[in-house]
Amino acid sequence: MRRCDGIHRREFLRVGSLSALGLSLTDALRLQADAGNKKPTNCILIWLDGGPSHLDTFDLKPDAPAEVRGPFRPIATNVPGIRICEHFQSLARHMDKVCLLRSLTSELGEHNFGRHYLLTGYKPSPALEYPSIGSVVAHLRGVNSSLPPYIAVPNVSRQGGAGYLPASAQPFAVLGDPSKPDFRVKDLRPANGITSSRLHRRRDFLAGLDALSRYIEENDFRRQRDVQFEQAYRLILSPAARLAFDLNREKPEVRAKYGRQKLGQSCLLARRLIEAGCPFVTVTDAGWDTHQQIVRNLKEGFVGGYNGKIPQLDRALSALLEDLASRGLLEQTLVVVMGEFGRTPKLNTSDGRDHWPRAFSVLLAGGGTQGGQVIGSSDARGESPHDKPITPTDLARTIFTLLGIDPDRELQTSDGRPVRVSAGGRVIKECF
Amino acid sequence: MTRNQAMAAILCCGLSAATAFAGAPDFATEVIPVLTKAGCNSGACHGAAIGRGGFRLSLLGYDPDADYEAMLDEFEGRRVNLVRPERSLLLLKPSRRLPHDGGLKLKTTSEGYRLVRDWIEAGAPRGGGIHLQRLEIVPTSITLPSVNESVAIKVTAHFNDGRSRDVTDSSIFSPLDKGSLSCDDSGRVRPLRPGQHAVMVRFLGEVGCVRIRVPLHEQKPPTSPPRSNFIDDYINRTMADLRLPHSPRAGDHELIRRLHLDLIGTLPTADEVDAFVNSQDTDKFSRLVDRLLKRPEYVDFWSYKWGDLLQIESKRLQPEGAASFHRWIREQVAANTPYDQIAKELILSVGDGYKHGPANFHRVPSDARAEAEYVSRVFLGVRLQCANCHNHPFDRWTQNDYHGLSAIFARLSRGRFVSNKPAGEVIHPKTSKPARRKIPGGRFLEEKEPGRQRFTDWLTSPHNPHFARAAANRIWRELMGRGLVEPVDDLRATNPPTHPELLDALARDFIEHRFDVRRLIKTIVTSEAYRRSSRSVEGNEGDGLFYSKALVKPLPPVVLVDAVAYVTGVAEPLGNVAPGTRAIALGDARVSSEPLDLLGRCDRTSSCESSAPAGLPLTLHAIHGDWLNKKIASPQGRLHQMIAAGRSDGEIVSTFYRLALSRPPSERESAWWREKLKTGNHQERVQTLEDFVWALLNSAEFCSNH
Repeated sequence: MRRCDGIHRREFLRVGSLSALGLSLTDALRLQADAGNKKPTNCILIWLDGGPSHLDTFDLKPDAPAEVRGPFRPIATNVPGIRICEHFQSLARHMDKVCLLRSLTSELGEHNFGRHYLLTGYKPSPALEYPSIGSVVAHLRGVNSSLPPYIAVPNVSRQGGAGYLPASAQPFAVLGDPSKPDFRVKDLRPANGITSSRLHRRRDFLAGLDALSRYIEENDFRRQRDVQFEQAYRLILSPAARLAFDLNREKPEVRAKYGRQKLGQSCLLARRLIEAGCPFVTVTDAGWDTHQQIVRNLKEGFVGGYNGKIPQLDRALSALLEDLASRGLLEQTLVVVMGEFGRTPKLNTSDGRDHWPRAFSVLLAGGGTQGGQVIGSSDARGESPHDKPITPTDLARTIFTLLGIDPDRELQTSDGRPVRVSAGGRVIKECF
Repeated sequence: MTRNQAMAAILCCGLSAATAFAGAPDFATEVIPVLTKAGCNSGACHGAAIGRGGFRLSLLGYDPDADYEAMLDEFEGRRVNLVRPERSLLLLKPSRRLPHDGGLKLKTTSEGYRLVRDWIEAGAPRGGGIHLQRLEIVPTSITLPSVNESVAIKVTAHFNDGRSRDVTDSSIFSPLDKGSLSCDDSGRVRPLRPGQHAVMVRFLGEVGCVRIRVPLHEQKPPTSPPRSNFIDDYINRTMADLRLPHSPRAGDHELIRRLHLDLIGTLPTADEVDAFVNSQDTDKFSRLVDRLLKRPEYVDFWSYKWGDLLQIESKRLQPEGAASFHRWIREQVAANTPYDQIAKELILSVGDGYKHGPANFHRVPSDARAEAEYVSRVFLGVRLQCANCHNHPFDRWTQNDYHGLSAIFARLSRGRFVSNKPAGEVIHPKTSKPARRKIPGGRFLEEKEPGRQRFTDWLTSPHNPHFARAAANRIWRELMGRGLVEPVDDLRATNPPTHPELLDALARDFIEHRFDVRRLIKTIVTSEAYRRSSRSVEGNEGDGLFYSKALVKPLPPVVLVDAVAYVTGVAEPLGNVAPGTRAIALGDARVSSEPLDLLGRCDRTSSCESSAPAGLPLTLHAIHGDWLNKKIASPQGRLHQMIAAGRSDGEIVSTFYRLALSRPPSERESAWWREKLKTGNHQERVQTLEDFVWALLNSAEFCSNH
């Protein structure tokens, strides 16, 4: 039923946009893609870097002692029984689209280790650097638009990289701040006097130089560079790709709805990129490592303000979900919101919380997940999973499955070793 | 039988559980290893910081006292039931006779189960006094003829009471790379593929590694590699074990370029190349090394490397502090101050950071704990931070080492003026009391002793193996493209070097020659291993570890930026520093430069053992950005000057090849360019030549040191 509804709405919208607004680029791309049989699911990963406090966002414990409960109260949402932090006022109206996992659990309470575990689904190993989920998607989906297959807005931590996969699976970091009026991806437009015929000639010269040199043989270094050049040329030579990065094509109302900050505009850019054919976009939001002053950092942003991490995420995420849904994109766009771990149940002496990997929450929406539900729970103080513990490996396996990638498929390291997309873990079936 | 009878006696007499009992298994050295082997005290189970299911053990059993208390005193004696041993939760849970989230860990028929039961039957004595002194692992290194062979590892524990015991069955064996080796609980190890592999062995707090080699080829290589100094002995032996063929020596053009880039971060001029190539002197390479070590660019370049290591940047240190720190480092590099002297002065200095360079060493880390980590990383090549919360699980560093070293740095104030404070402490998280100052792996200090002095004495002592090894490994990496241990800040018992004996020998040599850095550099670059070609021969195509060919190194960001400026003849603008300043001479990573950022320079806000270039943004910048395009098209630049001077295409091609690649173009290359540069009008010719220079600056040969 749900699926049918989605398609109806999408069909309806498509017709609407054609007649009322004329055929924009993104519409054309969508039409093109819709013409195919089954569209693969894409992914927007909103990475809350530093480790968001589960107890102050999606897993509040109003009945716990004050030092655990913290400063925020829960509010009801549009799904009876699901309560989230009071500062997610808009998101509370979209919980029917959200599948909330409250029993994530890991052992790695250090940022880099935690990032690696959550972003790759593997615990870090000295023997092998594993690729991030985005890189695996990029590698297996390959290139089917002029956009790079994995884009990081504005950038991503090292653990979000290609690991043992080739450089073509590296994320393309757009850099800069999408909320700035002069934001644009640097060096996408030609320099003075460099015409496209000269671009082609330079490409030809470079290939000739390398091929003729007796002094340097084909090696990883050269292969990686060649891939970078190929990707760069594809991007430069496609006007469609360049337009996808241009936030000025959005109406001011839409831009305002996402919030005029970095996170909001990054989420809007992510939507444009997904629409234009990029299968995996990571939006990174720093500042969730709240060892101090939860109220200031998560709620206020500045003294007396209401612009902290939570209100910003509230605006951006609810706008994104609404926008994806109204464009009929939510069914084939998986939205994942997570960070590297949760935070200590007991407030510390600086009114903050420290690292806590033992129990935390992750939010999924769209992409074939069943919204309006909570899966798993933590115990009374948010210390450990109470039921249905979910490991980062389980989560990675589930994400791959939702994205239509067989988690047991084997990949190859550069020296020919077979490594599975995801090893161990179980799919969280309740999500579907 | 005798044990059971004695057991009854104990119960009758009501002796306390802690009474030592002759013949009872020892708690710390026998019972805990059973739990460790079964995985009970791992980080994923009861060894986690808050335990599991209300039962907390120390991580991998590093704290027997706490574990004993957790088993005997908590939970009303139900974990260990002295009256009815078989009803102890310690036995019921892991054998799954009661529900256990961790699953079946100890079968009732197993040796480990029997041992724990015997211990409880004996009254669960704490015992004590016995501790592990040394772990003997046999063999530590072996070459197997093929992947079809296996080897049994034997582990013997030597205790302080003079007794020894075969603890193979209680030891844990884990391959460093599960794809390369398999090993079972009894210590039998089987390689899964050819190459060099290692398995980690753990018993109680001690860890060690066993190296296993399996030849890569069936046939021995046709020739044995040449030898120039002791380095080659170790490199050649490994290649022989692996039957890895070697590439021949690199040609003169490659060698002079390589040596210039490695030693002074600067391309050789065309004249320098010609003089070297044409020289008939048989000792010309060694003489070139000596000359380069005296060049001012050597001071620039190696001071820059020091700056990355020490994290010299002006946000933390302010411009005055960064400048005085950099100036001081330059003086030491210029004077070739022995490495141990540099370490001593850095650690012992106090004073005004704006005037006294080395005092800034204490201003880089934000507090005492951060300084303990910083000092360990810089001078020991160790990541001590794991030992903040528990004993380092993969090394010998303990929590006492971490907090004891932190306490040594607690009596410092870290403002602009670094000074000694009369008081200052670090709270040990386990005792919640001030930690006692301690030498890592050594003794606690007395209250009156000067802490940093004692630490420095220990650090730079010729008997401290860690200090010289960490330094030698870093210098080796700078020259050879890969550390003998990687990453270079993660030296530990369980991250073995590719060539352990070589690293020891380099460290010995470094100590014997009074930590003379230039001498160590010369020793490394005059080895045959350094001088090999980077091109493969049949059979060593895949080698990236054993130096059978030279590794191709990407040019470091500062070197590449300078090289582009040199070839194009247009200086790179760098922040507000004096025009014409070279990137390798910068003392502060905050000097703004888009190409340096995109190329992935270390920003020096944290350790940069592994920073990466920006990838696609860098490529886009190379294609469209100002960095290359502006210089190539500059009327004052080399290309336009040559065009204006009426030089021919052939002359221009040849000049740029010699500048950028330190060699003339080959016949084929010249012919190819003649063909490509055949164009019509003047403007077309200029643009085509610009495109030639652009391609050259992006070529793999130019952008790498090979």
